[in-house]
Amino acid sequence: MSVKAFELVPAVERELLMGDKARINIECLECCGKHLYVGTNDCFIHHFLLDEVTTSKGRLTYSAQKLLHKYLGLKKPVAELRAASALERLIVLCDGIVFLVDMVTLETVPSAAGGGAKIKGVTAFSPTVQIYMVYEDRVQLVKEVTTPEAQPYMILNYSTGAAQDLFPIQQRGRRPIVKRIGREEFLLAAPGGLGMFANAEGVSQRAPVNWSESVIGAAVCFPYVVALDEGFITVHSMLDQQLKQTLSFRDGHILQDFEGKVVLASTKAVYILVPLPLERQIQDLLASHRVEEALTLTEGAQRNIPKDKFQVTDLHKRILQQAGFIQFGQLQFLEAKEHFRKGQLDVRELISLYPLLLPASSSFTRCHPPLHEFADLNHLAQGDQEKVLRCKKFLITYLGEVRSTEVVNGCREDVDTALLKLYAEQDHDSLLDLLASDNACLLADSIPWLEKYHKYFALGLLYNYNGQDSAALQLWIRVVDGDLQDSTRSDLYEYIVDFLSFCSNVDLVWKYADWALRKDPTIGVQIFTKRPTTKDQSGVLNPDDVITYLGKHSQALLLYLEHLVLERRLQKEKFHTHLAVLYLERVLSLLSQSPADEEQVTRGRERLQALLRESSLYRVQFLLGKIETSQELLLERATLHGKLEEHDKALHILVHQLRDFGSAEAYCLWASSSRDSTYRQRLFHLLLGVYLDRNLPATAQSAGGGGGGELEMAAVDLLNRHGEVFDAVRVLSMLPEGWSLQLLRPFLGRAIRASMHACRTSQVALGLARSENLQLLHDRLKERKNPIFVSEKKGCHLCHNTFSEPDVVCMPGGVPVHTHCVAQRIRDSPTKRQLTNSSNHT
Amino acid sequence: MPEGSKMKKPDVKVVILGDMNVGKTSLLHRYTERKFKDTISTVGGAFYLKQWGPYNISIWDTAGREQFHGLGSMYCRGAAAVILTYDVTNWQSLAELEERFLSLTDTANHDCIYAIVGNKADLTDPKAQLPQDSDRVSEDRAECEEETGSQVLSTCPTPPASPASLSGVMVHKQVGHEDAMALYGRILRYKGLEENGSLPAEKMCFETSAKTGYNVDILFETLFDLVLPSILRKRNENQQSPTVDLEDCRGGNNKRGKTACC
Repeated sequence: MSVKAFELVPAVERELLMGDKARINIECLECCGKHLYVGTNDCFIHHFLLDEVTTSKGRLTYSAQKLLHKYLGLKKPVAELRAASALERLIVLCDGIVFLVDMVTLETVPSAAGGGAKIKGVTAFSPTVQIYMVYEDRVQLVKEVTTPEAQPYMILNYSTGAAQDLFPIQQRGRRPIVKRIGREEFLLAAPGGLGMFANAEGVSQRAPVNWSESVIGAAVCFPYVVALDEGFITVHSMLDQQLKQTLSFRDGHILQDFEGKVVLASTKAVYILVPLPLERQIQDLLASHRVEEALTLTEGAQRNIPKDKFQVTDLHKRILQQAGFIQFGQLQFLEAKEHFRKGQLDVRELISLYPLLLPASSSFTRCHPPLHEFADLNHLAQGDQEKVLRCKKFLITYLGEVRSTEVVNGCREDVDTALLKLYAEQDHDSLLDLLASDNACLLADSIPWLEKYHKYFALGLLYNYNGQDSAALQLWIRVVDGDLQDSTRSDLYEYIVDFLSFCSNVDLVWKYADWALRKDPTIGVQIFTKRPTTKDQSGVLNPDDVITYLGKHSQALLLYLEHLVLERRLQKEKFHTHLAVLYLERVLSLLSQSPADEEQVTRGRERLQALLRESSLYRVQFLLGKIETSQELLLERATLHGKLEEHDKALHILVHQLRDFGSAEAYCLWASSSRDSTYRQRLFHLLLGVYLDRNLPATAQSAGGGGGGELEMAAVDLLNRHGEVFDAVRVLSMLPEGWSLQLLRPFLGRAIRASMHACRTSQVALGLARSENLQLLHDRLKERKNPIFVSEKKGCHLCHNTFSEPDVVCMPGGVPVHTHCVAQRIRDSPTKRQLTNSSNHT
Repeated sequence: MPEGSKMKKPDVKVVILGDMNVGKTSLLHRYTERKFKDTISTVGGAFYLKQWGPYNISIWDTAGREQFHGLGSMYCRGAAAVILTYDVTNWQSLAELEERFLSLTDTANHDCIYAIVGNKADLTDPKAQLPQDSDRVSEDRAECEEETGSQVLSTCPTPPASPASLSGVMVHKQVGHEDAMALYGRILRYKGLEENGSLPAEKMCFETSAKTGYNVDILFETLFDLVLPSILRKRNENQQSPTVDLEDCRGGNNKRGKTACC
């Protein structure tokens, strides 16, 4: 209830109509534009001019001016008046007679065709519907439709005569009510005080409205149905069938709508029900939080709101937004969101409810008149912190959803900044996602907010997004150093290193790498080692610069050189030498400690050895000079000699100084790994020679500490293990006389077998070659048996000219060609030698 | 938002008839709002627009009071389905269907289908007292009348007992399922329909409880599926109509579009 849909406004007061004559009653009304006609029980027609007057307060009132009244002379009440305004005629029913009067003069129209302008006996007893055409000066019967006993309401198709019963008329003695409400739809008073809707097919398409039993009249003024009973005017909505307004009205007599104007009369006076603007009705509904009704009315009434006054869609949007705010206030977030969305709410209206969320620089001002009654969130929640929290969570979801849509066009900064503030305040995980992706957060506004909530990591991201990497780094470094507290990332140090490794601003890298390296050289060096290499020139660091920079961070320098040499495999002598020197220095320094850490020494030497073996870029002599002082790094020395191809020196060290025969063998294999078999053989013979060298027995044996047989055993093992490499004949000549056959059996066995194998393989090859030769001979003889024809008409296969002389050369398959052509061909391709053997033929 | 109010034109009409206080409004309410609440005696009638796939089905809830009886045949005009509702604890409510309400259906479509529904089953039948899973898909509804015994029982505990039904006192069941089926047979005869060519009584007689939701979804969804042919036929007729419907044109092309796709 309590929608104020209509206002009752007096139109014609009692005095104006009948003065002080007490017995005069209003019987019927007709309203046509500004003209109001009133028929009375004393057979008068009164003609008034109704003027709409808008008061200073914007209310609509009517002022009536009496133009004329006319006695019809029948002494009976005027039962019915109908205007035919196009003809300027008023159709009058009085005393059972229908006739025409002039609308202006109220004079009875003189009948042009002789008395044809009157129809008598209208209240006939037989239930009949007669249809007349009304002309200016006559009426003419067109059709007459007899109806059955007029008990129920019925739908009658006047052109076909088809009839359909609807339902019984409510009560005997009451006037039936039939109102046309639209295209082929009617409103009827039904039993039980119902207002029933029926269409031309006899079907009800809307639910009935509930009137009282004593309903006298009804009128339609979209979207309302107005009904009059003995004490009240009731207003129902056709949209939801609910009773919307009740106005007290005594002695009600007539209720009719004329072209949208609802006119009402008691027996003595005339009133008009002025509909209040729909927008105001809707606002009233919203003011009492009746959201559904307001929206129903808005949607139902949309086409009835004059378009020149309002942008219909704008009004609708506004109402949706207001509805959304009401639901928001009731924490019905789902519904609210839906209405905000449909109403295309400027998101900032919502954000502005939350104190401090909008950036200081925002140009936003709330719309006027306001969409809601809340000053801010605290006002809305009345101190209920849980409510505040729920509202904040809602805003987080809502902003998260709309920020990537066109709803936020033109206010992205405001939305993103608000979202950032909420995330920070609520310690929301998405804060980082927001900052790491495309965003429009305003830096100036966000800095104090993020600092307040100790979101320094996030703030750094924002600096970074705004191109202020230096500020970001300074902030993060302070967090890592413990000056600031932010536990967002426990691995912030690693993050910084990673950040620097991708940082394209070289100055920043130089500036902050030192801090990172001091913190942890092994991780810090990743700034340089993890740097993407295939970038544009701007961020590329020159390795020489890095090496210089890393001068005071020896550990990092080593790692960096390893990165250059072993991972990136840069083929630059400088790096290789530098790395080898560093390795060497490290080993030397480890060795100089006492006691030396064996494990570390071993690991250090392995690296050094590997580099010395595998790289061929470093400066061998330089290293050799450094290493010569050390008595322990013999293997390394041997390797270096090997690089210089000083194999005798190397092997001498390995065999006599180190007495490591395994390494000596491995050395031979390594040093000849990329050479041919002769080279390898040479090395192995060299080694064998060293083993068997009798010029140095004394030192060798003293160094080894074992018997003289040790080297000989090594020689035997070498022969037995790598027999295939050796030239057996040369070996035999080298071996001492006294060695037993048994000792060298595996070597000799293999040597003989290899020799046998080679012999037989060559015999097989020889046999195959012979048989091939024989086969060719056979083919040649076969070709010779047939004659080869040469004539002047035949062409040479090589030059395609004809033969002019009998001398030809015969190609395999008996093809004759010119001798000079063959000669030419042999000159061009020396491989075809067999052709020289071909014989001439005549 | 109440869907019923406006613009959308219903494709087909379903009418609920029955004596007063058998629970017509509660049935509709249970189906549309998924809850049971006190209702007041319906005045005149009310209607609800149900979106069923691409179709709009209007469901008319009529007033059972004698006073509004005269309106019944108007509500039934053009109906594609009529739900004749009685109260299983009240024999008279079944008798009234035949005596008073059957004649109202004369105005319904010639191929109108009829369902006979005994409501308030929770008062007499323990299995109708369990709260129904409202999201249950109704695929098995064809058989469910037969096999309600094996229906999946909800794991929820029995809801708080209401004094009338769940305190263990069962109300005497006055109308058996077979009585309803017999009435169905008589309705077919009244309509001059062959029993063989019509929907079988087992399928069209339901016992429901608007209070617990028992069989309510099944009832409505069975009917909606059965009236689909009627909708299609109606749309077809509209399409072939030689009259240009200006309302329809103005109302947007979505209607046309819909027709085109089916």
